[in-house]
Amino acid sequence: MPSIFPKWTNLLPLKLAVAVACLGGAATAGVWYYWTPKYSRVGYQPKQPVAFSHAIHADQLGVDCRYCHSAVERSWFSNIPASSTCMNCHSLLLKEDPKLALVRDSYQSGKSIPWVQLHRTPDFAYFNHSVHVNRGISCVHCHGQINHMEEVFHAKPLSMGFCLDCHRAPEEKIRPVDLVTQLDWAGAVDGKKLVHDWNVKPGQSCSTCHR
Amino acid sequence: MKTIPPVCTEPETGPKYWRSLDHLADRPEYRQWVEREFPAGASIAPEGESRREWMKLMSASFLLAGVGGMAAGCRRPETHLLPFAKQPENYTHGGWQYFATSMPARAGAVPLIVKSSDGRPTKIEGNPLHPDSNGATDLYAQAALLNLYDPDRSARHSLNGNDVKVEKVRDALAALAKKFGSSGGEGLVLLADRNTSPSRAALQAKWSAKLPKAKWFSYEPVDFDIHREAASLAFGADVTPHLHLEKAKRILSLDSDFIGAEADAAHHIRGYARGRKPGDDMNRLYVVESLFSLTGGQADHRLRVRPSDVVRVAAQIASFILKGELAGSCQRLSHDSPARVEWAKACAEDLKAAGGAVAVVAGYSQPLAVHLIAHAINAELGAIGKTVQLLPTPSLPAHGGIVEAVTALKAGVDTLVILGGNPVYNAPADLDFAGALAGAKTVVRYGYYEDETSTAKTKGDVWHIPAAHFLESWGDARTSDGTLVPVQPLIEPLLGGWTDLELLARLLGEAKTSAYDIVRSNFKGDDQAWKQFLHDGYLKDSAPAPVSSSFSLAAVLKFLSPWNPASASGLEVVLHRDAKVDDGRFTNNGWLQELPDPVTKIVWENVVMISPATGKTLGLTGPESKTDYAAAHSGQYEQQVIEVTVNGRTIRGPVWIQPGLADNVIALGLGYGRSVVGRVGAGSGFNAYLLMNSANRHWSSGATLKPILKKAMVATVQEHGLMEGRPVIREANLDQFKSRSDFAAHMDLDEHLPHYVPHREDGSIKNIYQHPYQQNPFTKSEVHQWGMTIDLSSCVGCGACVMACQAENNIPIVGKDQVIRGREMHWLRLDRYYSHDPSQAITGEHVSEDPQMVIQPMFCQHCEAAPCESVCPVNATVHDEEGLNVMAYNRCIGTRYCSNNCPFKVRRFNFFDYNKREISYGKTEGNLFLNVEGPLYHGPLGPNKNTEPQWEIIKLVKNPDVSVRMRGVMEKCTFCVQRIEQAKIAQKNIARDSSDVAVKDGTIKTACQQVCPAEAIQFGNLLDPKSKVSELKKDPRNYSVLGFLDIRPRVTYLARVRNPNPEIAKLENRTMPDSLRDYESFRHENPFEETGESHSGHAPEKKGAA
Repeated sequence: MPSIFPKWTNLLPLKLAVAVACLGGAATAGVWYYWTPKYSRVGYQPKQPVAFSHAIHADQLGVDCRYCHSAVERSWFSNIPASSTCMNCHSLLLKEDPKLALVRDSYQSGKSIPWVQLHRTPDFAYFNHSVHVNRGISCVHCHGQINHMEEVFHAKPLSMGFCLDCHRAPEEKIRPVDLVTQLDWAGAVDGKKLVHDWNVKPGQSCSTCHR
Repeated sequence: MKTIPPVCTEPETGPKYWRSLDHLADRPEYRQWVEREFPAGASIAPEGESRREWMKLMSASFLLAGVGGMAAGCRRPETHLLPFAKQPENYTHGGWQYFATSMPARAGAVPLIVKSSDGRPTKIEGNPLHPDSNGATDLYAQAALLNLYDPDRSARHSLNGNDVKVEKVRDALAALAKKFGSSGGEGLVLLADRNTSPSRAALQAKWSAKLPKAKWFSYEPVDFDIHREAASLAFGADVTPHLHLEKAKRILSLDSDFIGAEADAAHHIRGYARGRKPGDDMNRLYVVESLFSLTGGQADHRLRVRPSDVVRVAAQIASFILKGELAGSCQRLSHDSPARVEWAKACAEDLKAAGGAVAVVAGYSQPLAVHLIAHAINAELGAIGKTVQLLPTPSLPAHGGIVEAVTALKAGVDTLVILGGNPVYNAPADLDFAGALAGAKTVVRYGYYEDETSTAKTKGDVWHIPAAHFLESWGDARTSDGTLVPVQPLIEPLLGGWTDLELLARLLGEAKTSAYDIVRSNFKGDDQAWKQFLHDGYLKDSAPAPVSSSFSLAAVLKFLSPWNPASASGLEVVLHRDAKVDDGRFTNNGWLQELPDPVTKIVWENVVMISPATGKTLGLTGPESKTDYAAAHSGQYEQQVIEVTVNGRTIRGPVWIQPGLADNVIALGLGYGRSVVGRVGAGSGFNAYLLMNSANRHWSSGATLKPILKKAMVATVQEHGLMEGRPVIREANLDQFKSRSDFAAHMDLDEHLPHYVPHREDGSIKNIYQHPYQQNPFTKSEVHQWGMTIDLSSCVGCGACVMACQAENNIPIVGKDQVIRGREMHWLRLDRYYSHDPSQAITGEHVSEDPQMVIQPMFCQHCEAAPCESVCPVNATVHDEEGLNVMAYNRCIGTRYCSNNCPFKVRRFNFFDYNKREISYGKTEGNLFLNVEGPLYHGPLGPNKNTEPQWEIIKLVKNPDVSVRMRGVMEKCTFCVQRIEQAKIAQKNIARDSSDVAVKDGTIKTACQQVCPAEAIQFGNLLDPKSKVSELKKDPRNYSVLGFLDIRPRVTYLARVRNPNPEIAKLENRTMPDSLRDYESFRHENPFEETGESHSGHAPEKKGAA
């Protein structure tokens, strides 16, 4: 009696298993890599309506972050400065610069400048800027070396795991409160001591961020 | 081996705490219904969607998602941040701003602090700075926020129904002003609602000076002006009584529901609850009433009489107190009194013995005679100036009420101005206001809605001017204590509304027409004082000093001597202010519509209430009148429709057997059955105004009832979430409490805990449910552990907390059809139990006529060893570090296991995307069950797109600090976690580089706590031994509901204490609360009679092991 299945089918189950394993592994790896904020968000650098350089303002000129982002110590939201804040200086400096035309127009007309949003936590995550900067967590930990950026890009993943890494080990990131806006600061500090002295115990349960 | 003993024996003769007549009758169909976790139908998907359709929809959505994904790459769409061009002063983006304002009411105002999130008002709170406020409000003030964002409110100026420009309206008003200014107001009539604005009063004075021939009438369908009228007559001066119930040791209510239906309920509740602290100074409340009101539920002694008999009982009590001629008068009036002489006498003696700390209050629906008798008793016992203060009230030039207005209209008027109110709907039916209105040449209507009055047909022109919400208006008012308060806007009129002041000013041809200018010019004081006034929300020391007028015996005698009470015969119809929609002004408010009535727990409509005995004479005996439960969709109330006829006018509505209602009384709530109303109020209830008589507005006798061959579905939540046979509410009489103050801890199995809980071999307790901190002690916060207490002696069940919770936590409105299916979403419910004498044989035939009422706020108890947590397959509900049982909505997959395992039934499931549903809230024509999917949101491919601009306005009411939950997730009380987190963050921002991170006691107030006028709710940190909540947890009355389960709820209750008069208690044969007698009858034990044997055998040293 002739065999129903040809001989080459003997290895078919094994081949199939290997193929499924490879495909499955590739899919898992793909999701693992491409579907996380580390890939999808880091490096995002949209074109802004005004070519504002943090490198010039924060680094070369030494303007403190809080001059423009004035609400950062009081609100959950670190505000984008109003056009009037820009005009505090630019009504005197670079008065005719064509790059600042939009700022001047906005100040005159009262229409907002449509800055493109980079950093965004989802609506169900209630991140609060004030509590972080007031308790010794620097801007640099979430926003990267923004003081060296000519054009701002998304430097850190800002995923839930990213938040939790720090909430689980705040001593690695904490620094004296007056150094929070010193983005280049690289001094040494006994993080464990600060965490103990300030009674820092970042929440790790759902209610810390989700309400 | 230790096992858990059967902890609760079933009662021998049916449950003794009962929530409805069906519960009491305890038929098998009922039990079957109760025992289901979710009512039948709750888990059935809407019909009309087959599996094939579902596949179609899903594949289409996947396809779309794929296309969308490819087009947009992996990134979210580009979004923009739009900062200000010019930074406003004192504005922090993302911060909150608070403004002091007030909500004007008919007879007073509610002082408020309103929270504004990014320029839109999102939460209303009371103003704790105000001298006559504790930072609480009534429920109407909470719900008024939703009215601001009501897409059905009037948004246009119109002439005969056609849009007109606002300029044209102004021109027309200027023309009227010119015409009447020269003629002295000949032919001009104004019909206004009542308020307490001094600015309006000033304009009214100008009106009568400038337009001497014009007429000014006032009308409120539920009018509290009788209090002023009676006090003015009794004391011979223009005065209004202002109650200080906190000073009263004995309170007698003569049909006065001062906790619910009367004006300024929040003020009364506060005073009453402060005087209700268990102890020697505890007050005692006597209530003589016809309805079963919340005040009646609080009563230590309650007498059910029909409304026309109240005067007889009042006179009977008064005849034991008053002297001389007045006593004789009362003797005459007390003829035929239904009260036993001993009862009246004991009550009178008790009042006399209180040394002036007495308050006798009469209800708004009672005739002048009852009010005069009340004042006579108050004056005789020396209460005037103490518990009842007389505040001078300047009388305004007016020409009368609705009767006079209709007479004037019938005589012919040129122009009628209707300032607020809705007389076409709510004027007494015998006046035929609509007919009288038709004769006016021009009608100018100012109103918040385009309602029955705006759309009335007349032979001339009808102008409609939209009113602004009080959060959009400048104005002023006086609270009931006379303090001047501002009404200041938080937002520009969203839909172009006017203030009444502007309209009046334009009618008078005033130079100043802006409401701000009018109010500012009426305010006496410089700019600094004005700013202070707006900042504080009240003007310091602006309340008038109480006057010490003496009782005018002659005037009262002159009135009472010839007066005769109406004969009490046949059935009497009582028309009462509704506990939710008021007189109809809140009919289009979904929050209030869905708030269960405090007593009947009915939502979305009114019913024809009759007592069990009355029902029996008509062949309607409670449970027997119900249809077969198995046949009914989910055991809900399919009620017989009944026709009520009085004086030849008829209404129809579903009948409702209400225990505790006076016999031969038909109680009808006002405010429903609107014919021209928005999409929320449409089709709810019947119009009881059709039975209103101008002679006696609130009751009339000689009614007839006729059952109709028709049934109607009534939605009530009273059966949802039953607690079977456990002493969930513990109460005692004052003398018992004095003999053993910790009685509550000795009920149920509480004191046996933890002996019956399984133990491990080493002797430690093996909890039934996992305790998060026992397993992982390091996760427990050493700074904060939150807890709450609720004082059942203070709670009166007003419902303000339910409204505050709904406003704070973005709780959706689900609609009547969903409530019928048991899908209501309120995180906080008020459980109302009746209890009755267990010695009465209770069968389906015989039901209790005189039950006692107890009310218990019930919401997530935040059990430490939470049963819900151990059954969640995805860890969506877990404990946080500070003792909160939290819900992570994004983890929830909607198994509903947690709800099944919750002993308190406080978890709520989003069966649909209620926040996206069409705003008719399921109330479409025809059968509610067939229409369930019609107005519900069915996803982006469903029929309801909800893209109309109205959705933009509805969204504004949401609290931005709380997630809006989607379909398929579970939710429940979070202890207002957003407020906790905000307070902790604020404290850390202050602490900076110090360790001072503990939130100070009193900083965090949950929404329910903040709004509670009775101050019954206390929330705080249990780790702080000095915090108020820690103090209260040590109170001997403290107990946990279902504490025997060893779940250790963080919410505990303080047992209720009643304070009956021993003499009357003997008469009534009620020597202990009925609920305690029930407990005794089926547990064969009683916390006050220590038998000893039941506690032996438990080694006390093991107690510490917990």
